[in-house]
Amino acid sequence: MASLVPCPNCGRRPKEEFTIKGAALKRPAAGADASEWFDYVYLRDNPHGAYEEYWHHTSGCRRWLVLTRDTVTHEVAACRDAADGSRLEERT
Amino acid sequence: MSEFRPILRPVLGTKQAVSSATLRLSPLPEGTIIHVLARPGEEDMVPFLGSVAQTAAHAVRPVSPGQWFIVGEEPMPHKEMKSLFAALEPRASGVDQSHGRVRIRIEGKMASRALSKGTALDLDPSAFPVGQSSVTLIGHIAAHITRVGSEAFEIIVLRGFAESLWDDLARMSLEFS
Ligand SMILES: [Zn+2]
Repeated sequence: MASLVPCPNCGRRPKEEFTIKGAALKRPAAGADASEWFDYVYLRDNPHGAYEEYWHHTSGCRRWLVLTRDTVTHEVAACRDAADGSRLEERT
Repeated sequence: MSEFRPILRPVLGTKQAVSSATLRLSPLPEGTIIHVLARPGEEDMVPFLGSVAQTAAHAVRPVSPGQWFIVGEEPMPHKEMKSLFAALEPRASGVDQSHGRVRIRIEGKMASRALSKGTALDLDPSAFPVGQSSVTLIGHIAAHITRVGSEAFEIIVLRGFAESLWDDLARMSLEFS
């Protein structure tokens, strides 16, 4: 496991302090049709390699983070506060 | 009028301080703890909080981005707290946590050794100098740790977890006492 997570607010912390909140996906527009929402809610790629996930630093700063993790090597390439920069929902 | 009268007792009042030449664990007085939450986009809050809270008696402890605890040894009178909350607006909001959280002090040469049994936080003075605060896990309990002296730490924990955490800390300190 990615046992030490580099929280941008707290520094390197053990994974036990975090809650994994699932794939960080682009949210469909509010009026998108049902099939698009179905994809967003239920369908996952389960990639073999780089993966973007929401992690919540539950027992630390309590911020939502976006973690770029390799599902094969478990290496963490990047970790940012979900509120920083352009919001994920607004990216294309 | 209800017959029920709540009585506020210090939650760690019956605990015996753990004390030895190299380590001392003691409950701190249940004075004042105010949780401050800044509005999004507010910057340079620390000097502002220092001036609003008149930091002689209170200390401003960072919690997480945009959040602080203002702590004091003495309970703050209701009127004083009301005017402090008013002074924080509109840049930030204050929440009285004085009865919701409890402070514990652990100090001595072996304090960081004992604490390190429960937390993955790097407590070396180079990484965690005096005045630094962090929220982390101590065992399974989330706690806010501040280095208040070169060999002294203050721990802020939710009241409901205070006794459990105290018992854990006492056990972690056994070999040094
Ligand atoms: Zn964090």
